Amino acid sequence: MSEHGDRLTRPRATADIELRHLSRTFGEIRAVDDISFTVGAGRLTGFVGGNGAGKTTTMRMVMGVLSPSGGEVLWDGRPITALDRRQFGYMPEERGLYPKQGVLDQLVYLGRLRGLSTSVARSSVTAHLERLGLAERAKDHVEKLSLGNQQRVQIIAALMGRPRALVLDEPFSGLDPAAVDNMADLLREHTTQGVPVLFSSHQLDLVERLCERLVVLAKGRVVASGSPDELRSTSVSRHRLVLSGDAGWVRGVGGVHAVDVEGHTALLEIVEHGAERTLLEEALRRGEVHEFSPQRPTLAQIYREVTA
Amino acid sequence: MTTLQHRPDPDTTGEGVGSSEASGLAELADERAPGSGRPWLIVAVREVVVRVTNRTFLFSTLFTLVFIAGFAAFSAWQAGKTTTYTVAVSSAEGTRLVEKAASTARSTSDTVVITPTTVTGEDAAHAAVDRGDVDAWLHETPAGWTLTSGDDVGSSLRTPLEGAVRAAALDRNAAAAGTTVEALERGATLGADRFDGQTTNRGFVQAATFAFALLFFMGALMFGQQIAASVVEEKQSRLVEIIATAIPLRALLAGKVVGNSVIAMGQVVLFAGVGLVAVSFTEWSSLLPALSTAVVWFILFFAVGFFALACLFAVAGALASRTEDLQSTTSPLTTLLMLVYFASFALSGTALKVASFVPIVSVVAMPGRIIAGDAAWWEPVVSLLIMAAFSAVTVVIGEKVYRRSLMQTRGRTSWKQALRTAD
Repeated sequence: MSEHGDRLTRPRATADIELRHLSRTFGEIRAVDDISFTVGAGRLTGFVGGNGAGKTTTMRMVMGVLSPSGGEVLWDGRPITALDRRQFGYMPEERGLYPKQGVLDQLVYLGRLRGLSTSVARSSVTAHLERLGLAERAKDHVEKLSLGNQQRVQIIAALMGRPRALVLDEPFSGLDPAAVDNMADLLREHTTQGVPVLFSSHQLDLVERLCERLVVLAKGRVVASGSPDELRSTSVSRHRLVLSGDAGWVRGVGGVHAVDVEGHTALLEIVEHGAERTLLEEALRRGEVHEFSPQRPTLAQIYREVTA
Repeated sequence: MTTLQHRPDPDTTGEGVGSSEASGLAELADERAPGSGRPWLIVAVREVVVRVTNRTFLFSTLFTLVFIAGFAAFSAWQAGKTTTYTVAVSSAEGTRLVEKAASTARSTSDTVVITPTTVTGEDAAHAAVDRGDVDAWLHETPAGWTLTSGDDVGSSLRTPLEGAVRAAALDRNAAAAGTTVEALERGATLGADRFDGQTTNRGFVQAATFAFALLFFMGALMFGQQIAASVVEEKQSRLVEIIATAIPLRALLAGKVVGNSVIAMGQVVLFAGVGLVAVSFTEWSSLLPALSTAVVWFILFFAVGFFALACLFAVAGALASRTEDLQSTTSPLTTLLMLVYFASFALSGTALKVASFVPIVSVVAMPGRIIAGDAAWWEPVVSLLIMAAFSAVTVVIGEKVYRRSLMQTRGRTSWKQALRTAD
């Protein structure tokens, strides 16, 4: 067992995954249009975008499942090879396993295809099954598992055997909150060891919570990328104003855009620098100011802005 | 989860690995070596294991074996069974006829016994037949002799009786005309032999050809469909995407084809073996040597032909994107198999000769000709080489189409489209 342990605990040779001017057309449709970004080693990179934005197509190109119409993918600064990808963990968009084969057996099979010996694959799979609470289901046929548990088996297929990089398409969908946390912990353990992780998600709050880096995709193009804080700083700042009287008058103040006004409360965007001073003076002249505070934009807000 | 040492968790850090690091790297190379060198073998082994542990497969194989063995046992029992007929007669002449028929029956087959019994007249005969004491009543009518029974009379009774009545009548008529039966029948016989001096049993050749056709048809269809289904299973579930990132698709296809061919061959060899043993219990056992030669050729042809078919079925699976599409993507292949199946009965003469050189059709046609004894030694060799060439070309083209259509996950690809993109 300890021999396998060595194999499984050795530091991994990791690197950046770099996408350079990647494009893909399907007939007339440009599904992915000149995308460039880097999934840094040891970084958890979230890939966000609506349906049909090109996330899955991009991930499939990174994994070599789909060949790009243009551009290239680099690993460790050189064009990526099949041998590199063989040591990546990949979770495709639509899920499935061999329904009539036992959980352990098919995971070991997939591990062996990735070049692991049977014993290494087996111990890695067993450890993961224990970790995700599936140890007792190891011999069960996959079709007998619940969807959530099937999802866990899929995750193990990607994470087993110390992958050098992870590309995961919607890894959190279908998981309950506890499983999401569990999964997030697992992913962080990989990034701690320098593994670059690219994952896509619709759940923006989750992405915000987990990611060091974010790439927002819309209509096949990167519309924003950076750390959540960086993205926030590029966003127009918003303020919340709560008055003792009606707040309707704020609509007339120059340099300020009223996003929403309801009774005593107004949500404002300061368009011109210094306009907040004029605004506050006017407010104090009219009555009491209960609150005037900057609003930290949520990722959902930013997302809506950049993809609009 | 116990301690860290006992939990080879891939997510623990590399701390404390220390001196084992160097040996560990060497180990990594060793570990990758067996799998990465022969990924097709890993796939093939899985195909075999999954199939062999499949309950439906085991049951159907067992059922077929029991069927073949049962058929042999039935034939043997049928051959060894003695049938006794009792025929009622009302005259000394009738008794003589029945005794004559009994001796004829005894000389052709020792399993038919015919005995006469005397009754007084029609009423007594009728009563005896009704009681089941006798099988039929042989009596004289103005037109000749009549055999009256309660039910249909079996040919094993009727034929010798007919012969006896006919011989007696001929004797009488010849004497009346002042001559003998021998004189009348001189030169009236037709002998049959063959230039090659062999004696073949036409019914046996047909039965053996039918058995080959059935074995081929069932085997090819069953395993072909299974290959197609296992390809589409991986495609539909996107497992193929995970596999494609791990090994070349060529290796996946090779593993599937090899794995399924091995089981298909195993099953055919098993069936053929049990079939041969079964034949040894039947009246055809003297033809066993000729049959064995044909069976060996059949297995050879099947092996080579199945390789091409397996590849084509894998392509059919890759063309579909859901299990529901399989019916239409495999239909050209099932039609082809049906044609081969029917061709084996329909063709004869020159057409059969030509067919025995046409790939796939030759799997059934050539062994059939071998068994009939009209194939020269070089003919099966040439035919097999033609099929080997065909299989090689099919595998090369099939592999391309398979790779291109496997990742095409939207809708169904037609054979025409797939072949065009392969160019």
